[in-house]
Amino acid sequence: MSYAVKAAAAVAAALGSFALLFTFERPPVDTVQTGYRGLGIEQVYNPRTEAATLAANQLPEVIARVPAVGPRAGQVYQNVQVLGDITVAQFARTMAALTQWVSPEQGCNYCHNPNNMASDEIYTKVVARRMLQMTARINAEWKSHVQETGVTCYTCHRGNPVPAYSWYNNDRPPRAAGLAAGQAGQNLAAPTVGYASLPNDPFTPYLEQASLIRVQTPAPRVMPVKPGIKDAEWTYGLMMHMSTSLGVNCTYCHNSRAWYSWEESPPTRTNAWHGIRMVRDVNNNFITPLQPVWAANPNGPPTGPAQSRVGIHGDPLKVNCGTCHQGNYKPLLGQSMLRDYPELNAVTKIDAPEPIRQ
Amino acid sequence: MSMLSFERKYRVRGGTLVGGDLFDYWIGPFWVGFFGITTAFFTVIGTALILYGAAIGGTWNPWLINIAPPDLKYGLGLAPIREGGLWQAITVCAIGAFVSWIFRQAEISRKLGMGYHIPVAYSFAVFAYITLVVIRPVLMGAWGHGFPYGIFSHLDWVSNVGYQYLHFHYNPAHMIAVSFFFTTVLALSLHGALVLSALNPPRGETVKTSEHENTFFRDFIGYSIGTLGIHRLGLFVALSAGFWSAVCIVISGPFWTRGWPEWWTWWLNLPIWR
Amino acid sequence: MAEYQNIFTRIQVVGPAYPGVPLPKGDNPRKYTPGHWHLLGRLGDAQIGPVYLGWLGLLSIFTGFLAFEIIGLVMLDSVNWDIRQFVRQLFWLALEPPPPKYGLRFPPLNEGGWWIIAGFLLSVSVVLWWLRTYRRARALGMGTHVAWAFAAALWLYFVCGFFRPLLMGSWSEAVPFGIFPHLDWTAALSIRYGNLFYNPFHALSIVFLYGATLLFAMHGATILALGRFGGEREIELAVDRGTAAERGGLFWRWTMGFNASFESIHRWAWWFAVLCPLTGGIGILLTGTVVDNWHQWAMQHAFAPSYPPESWNALPDPLTLAPGGAR
Repeated sequence: MSYAVKAAAAVAAALGSFALLFTFERPPVDTVQTGYRGLGIEQVYNPRTEAATLAANQLPEVIARVPAVGPRAGQVYQNVQVLGDITVAQFARTMAALTQWVSPEQGCNYCHNPNNMASDEIYTKVVARRMLQMTARINAEWKSHVQETGVTCYTCHRGNPVPAYSWYNNDRPPRAAGLAAGQAGQNLAAPTVGYASLPNDPFTPYLEQASLIRVQTPAPRVMPVKPGIKDAEWTYGLMMHMSTSLGVNCTYCHNSRAWYSWEESPPTRTNAWHGIRMVRDVNNNFITPLQPVWAANPNGPPTGPAQSRVGIHGDPLKVNCGTCHQGNYKPLLGQSMLRDYPELNAVTKIDAPEPIRQ
Repeated sequence: MSMLSFERKYRVRGGTLVGGDLFDYWIGPFWVGFFGITTAFFTVIGTALILYGAAIGGTWNPWLINIAPPDLKYGLGLAPIREGGLWQAITVCAIGAFVSWIFRQAEISRKLGMGYHIPVAYSFAVFAYITLVVIRPVLMGAWGHGFPYGIFSHLDWVSNVGYQYLHFHYNPAHMIAVSFFFTTVLALSLHGALVLSALNPPRGETVKTSEHENTFFRDFIGYSIGTLGIHRLGLFVALSAGFWSAVCIVISGPFWTRGWPEWWTWWLNLPIWR
Repeated sequence: MAEYQNIFTRIQVVGPAYPGVPLPKGDNPRKYTPGHWHLLGRLGDAQIGPVYLGWLGLLSIFTGFLAFEIIGLVMLDSVNWDIRQFVRQLFWLALEPPPPKYGLRFPPLNEGGWWIIAGFLLSVSVVLWWLRTYRRARALGMGTHVAWAFAAALWLYFVCGFFRPLLMGSWSEAVPFGIFPHLDWTAALSIRYGNLFYNPFHALSIVFLYGATLLFAMHGATILALGRFGGEREIELAVDRGTAAERGGLFWRWTMGFNASFESIHRWAWWFAVLCPLTGGIGILLTGTVVDNWHQWAMQHAFAPSYPPESWNALPDPLTLAPGGAR
């Protein structure tokens, strides 16, 4: 090897090592201790990302409140199925808010035929009605998760007709048959599980079906039927999704020395437990029943920009932790929009089975 | 009793760095020296403080004794003695004792006309300890980021700090450190076994030579690093294990705040894949 | 006062290569003309080769290569034979053991069958390699310490990939072949079975891991520090103690009150290195088969510390409060 080649290799190696330094962050960092001292139960944040986080979670302008007097919307308009109990002025305010939150660019006509506002001919109106029912259900029945903060359309939509974070059944390896068909749904670089090679669709078993998330047996001795290491990997996948969706680490909800132990877990774990059930309720009782509607319009309304509404199996885009949280420990950093829009809680009929509590 | 048959001729004065002849004597097999005095000083105080911590900690079960660092709210300041101040004092004593030990090793090396490899090697271990309890806490802004002093409590800390980064096995420096640890054990087993196999041949055979050692490894894998080289290699991999361990923890927090698997996105997103 | 610390060889003498001590009758002659590589000579011996090619070694390399190929081809298939994605995601890819539903039966090839075949070939490869270490030592009239040290590593390998899955009744408990996936397995093993840090044999294994590293640092540094007295002539000094052995022993005696001899340090080394996989293998073998949750086991045996719950009021398991009652 000539000296020129050696020198070039040395320079390239030095440059590569130097470039690698830029893949890291730097001090100072912000830390929040939540457990006993010296136990390492704490959150670690990069303070330089906080400005961007605050900017991304600005609330839209509140539309001026209107007094609850005057005729009811259900008496004045036709085909008002769920918001009939609020006044006409409140109804108009709610419709304006929905437009601002979900289809600010497309406007009213995203859901309505301007010549016949009462008509359900545009499918998005049917979906919107269902989503109003879902919102009311979450705010009424899932206070164990959303507390008094509640949710509005904006919690998920943030000005987009389709929420930025969703999922669909994805049990397919890139190659459905062949040598590697039995990859157990893992071993690819998967953003759904924080770029680990863990099982990359933890949503279907845990957020749609009710597979057992708990893999540590409560008894120290051998039990007759036991989950195995692969089950633990699936649970780990779900937990990676929860952590990355909330921008928190494992110690936000667990003392990692004893994952199973409720005695050693922060109360946030209880909140998250209810959140998992809430998402199952939302997906099974509100999203999936709309599947035929989306299947008929797989790329959205004919007028709008084409954007897929269904997954590879034709199932609808569903909800996970990221749909609301979008990288924050609380959606919109815990700011309540529902407080300004009590009309959303006036939905008259939920039209869904009892909440899924398990 | 305290002297080996050949030892007397080596017990001569000189070689000290500090204190001249003042501490240049032996107690039993131990050579004292100035740094022996400081080592004993820090060790006695540190041990006493640990015993005091155990006494106020509510358990004398050695597996359960836990002397925890302060809450993060004390930042880089002093904490009350029962709320982490004890940990801070013990840390000072530990560093004092460990650093004294380095210099004591250096003095004994000089006394015996040896190189300084042993104190240099030991300083890697001390560096790793100081990284854990000083460098990283300072970079993160609180002594509370140090690890607690307790046999199983420190493992709880290791577990939780690992899961602060979601999946610690994806930490690249941790990967390098673990690889060096395993390599060291492999190399040590091969070296120890090779020497023993030359010195302990089958019944009826004579003791073998280093030519046999070299020949065995050349027959075996085509290369023998030699009697001197194996000690250079062993020292290198052992020190690398300690060094990369220190790196892997100091980058977790100060230089990376998210899940370690996510760090690898720089690789996944290189423009060459487009 | 900078002085030479024996880190690199400064002057290399280049002479004819050493052909090796004679082999017994019946062994094949050694292969390949030895060469010299200057850079290697800076650190250790410059001579490369000759090597003994026996059928044990050749078969071992061949079966190892087959296993390696199977693993690589399945990985390549998992990215649809896209070489670019193969390189990009190489660390994430794996050859996965069969899913739990097959238990210990032989599954279809693409659902873990290839894993069993690759695992079998790799096992054959390492066992043949073990035989080679044994036979090469005996051929030179040496002890078989290398072979038994290697056997300790094989114990850990077979516990992870064979004995424990056998006892658990499912190949799905075994380790996948892959860089990140085997790390996922390691983490999941600890998560599933209640924290390996509370497994006493795991703790012992780590003690021997760190202990072996400490020992090699101490030993390597001692020998290098004795370079000017010829400390690396360990065999000679073990048989006939010279000043290097005396100084090395006295260093540790004066430092910590105790010293090994030039032979016994290698016994310490051998045992620390061997006990690391030996105790580790015991720890893995007990995990899930005898103890299902190490943290609970630790609490039963009073060695898991408890902490004051001052930061929060722990809530009960919501599953026991949910409608329908405890499950």
